Amino acid sequence: MGDTKSGRGDTPLVRMVDIHKWFGKVCALRGINFEVQHNEIVGLVGDNGAGKSTLIKILSGYHGADRGEIYFEGKKINMSNPKDAKKLGIETVYQEQALSLHVSIARNVFMGRELTRTLGFMDRKRMDKESMDAITKLGLRIKDPEAVVEALSGGQRQGVAIARVLYFKAKLVILDEPTMALSVQESQQVLDFMQQLKAGGISVIFITHNIFHAYQAAERFFILSHGEALTDVRKEDTTIDHLIELIVSGKVEIKKQATEGKT
Amino acid sequence: MTLSAEKSGRGRSIGGYLIRMRSLNVFFIFVILFAVFTFLSPGNRFISKDNILIYLATGAEFNIIAVAVGMLMISGEFDLSVGSVLVFCSYTFTQVYASGVHILLAVIITAGAGTILGFINGMITVKARIPSFITTLGAMLLWRGVTLMWSGGEQKGIDLLQHPVMYKLIAGSIGGLIPSQFFWFIGIAVILALIMHYHKVGNWIFTTGDNREAARAMGIRTDRMKVLCFSIVGFAVAVAAVMQIFRAGTFSARAGDGWELKAIAAAVVGGTALTGGIGSMMGVFWGAFVISVIENGLVLLRVPYYWTFTIFGVVIVSTAILSVYIEKRRLLFGAERC
Repeated sequence: MGDTKSGRGDTPLVRMVDIHKWFGKVCALRGINFEVQHNEIVGLVGDNGAGKSTLIKILSGYHGADRGEIYFEGKKINMSNPKDAKKLGIETVYQEQALSLHVSIARNVFMGRELTRTLGFMDRKRMDKESMDAITKLGLRIKDPEAVVEALSGGQRQGVAIARVLYFKAKLVILDEPTMALSVQESQQVLDFMQQLKAGGISVIFITHNIFHAYQAAERFFILSHGEALTDVRKEDTTIDHLIELIVSGKVEIKKQATEGKT
Repeated sequence: MTLSAEKSGRGRSIGGYLIRMRSLNVFFIFVILFAVFTFLSPGNRFISKDNILIYLATGAEFNIIAVAVGMLMISGEFDLSVGSVLVFCSYTFTQVYASGVHILLAVIITAGAGTILGFINGMITVKARIPSFITTLGAMLLWRGVTLMWSGGEQKGIDLLQHPVMYKLIAGSIGGLIPSQFFWFIGIAVILALIMHYHKVGNWIFTTGDNREAARAMGIRTDRMKVLCFSIVGFAVAVAAVMQIFRAGTFSARAGDGWELKAIAAAVVGGTALTGGIGSMMGVFWGAFVISVIENGLVLLRVPYYWTFTIFGVVIVSTAILSVYIEKRRLLFGAERC
């Protein structure tokens, strides 16, 4: 579907090397090596407390790693806050956290980064138009940019949050549990958004503990368990049963030969 | 899934427009009250030129505070201390003036004092992470107490007519007809409305009040927005204090008594949610007019003063009920128009 951007060679979009993170005496992450290629959807899977959120918070600038390095497009980066990540083009969509329900769609899309004319006054016409364009690009049908977000369905709300990162030209979009609390149909809609992002040349990290959603959308699965990388496997090299087995047991079985043991 | 998308498209219809135009509803309430008072007041005195002018002048003092409080409430906070800050500012003004400084300087110092008290309210609320209900309840008791001690609780005359230019600007009239206070009120209300609905800072304030975490995640400095709103309230209170003392020519230790709740009432009548994030400055504008017209009208009807409270109570609760109904409908029609 999406053509891999040529010319970038083999340099991954993001490379996290030997990432460690402690919270007090608790070790949340232990020597994680994680890569995201250009134009790729990676499913970051694991049970609660596996370290998914911690890893992602390091990548989006909320936490600093205690050890390890992060490379973005081949260059080593140091992030001290989420704004640094945004500047690089790493955008995170947190579930239920990203939107102001009583404020209009256009104002939500541009929250904190309003389009302005002189003296900081908003260019509301342009905000309306651009937000609708971004939403239409996702394949979502909403007519009125002034509709309040509270009136939208769960899937549409995710769409608004994703349209925001689409507009701001993200290179990597991190979706944190985007299908949680959504109906089957709405989840399907969100999975479709991911394909739209990929079609637009954007890489996606899809965090979920719904393995069925991950299997449907992602091309590669990175499974964490108790702060360690359990496996990193391409879709064609695994089956859904195998993935479930891995997550439930929390161990890599030796007899499975298919995994590209990167750990 | 397209169902609600289609519903939201209905915002273009006339009915939808009316629902979205919350301020228009409040305006209708104002018009009805205006008509009732006109017909019921003896000899239709309510609509006499004298009364309208008095109403515009005295009402403006309260209205200025009410629009600022409305803005603060959209940011998700309360201020119960406006009455006490008002009396403190009044006394500050008389004392600074009595010390012999230039009258303009006295006005500026008073405005600064009010802004600082508002700023302190805000800083305590966001830094100590306590509800502003508590912070400003404390401030309400504190500043009235301080003012009572400082002034001895006595009335104090102050002769400001010897400054005809300042008097004309602050408490006189433009063209001998429309009171200056009214222009100040319109000016402040328009500036606040421009900020809230047309400037990016307004969007930051709305989203701070609606979903603080989301706003913060998008890089909005939510604490700063709240402190800004508190400071604007403090400034507005000081302006009202100066106007009041110019008009009355005396300091009264009871000035501003009960205004904190009236200001919140005006904001609620104007469609502002107590939880923040919902409201419009136009709505609060007419909400302030509704509250001050009730007070004025009841005086003209020679209704005993105690009735004022009773009627405020009825108006507040019934408009709140109406508000809930309108908000539910508004979901289907889209964001508020101002």
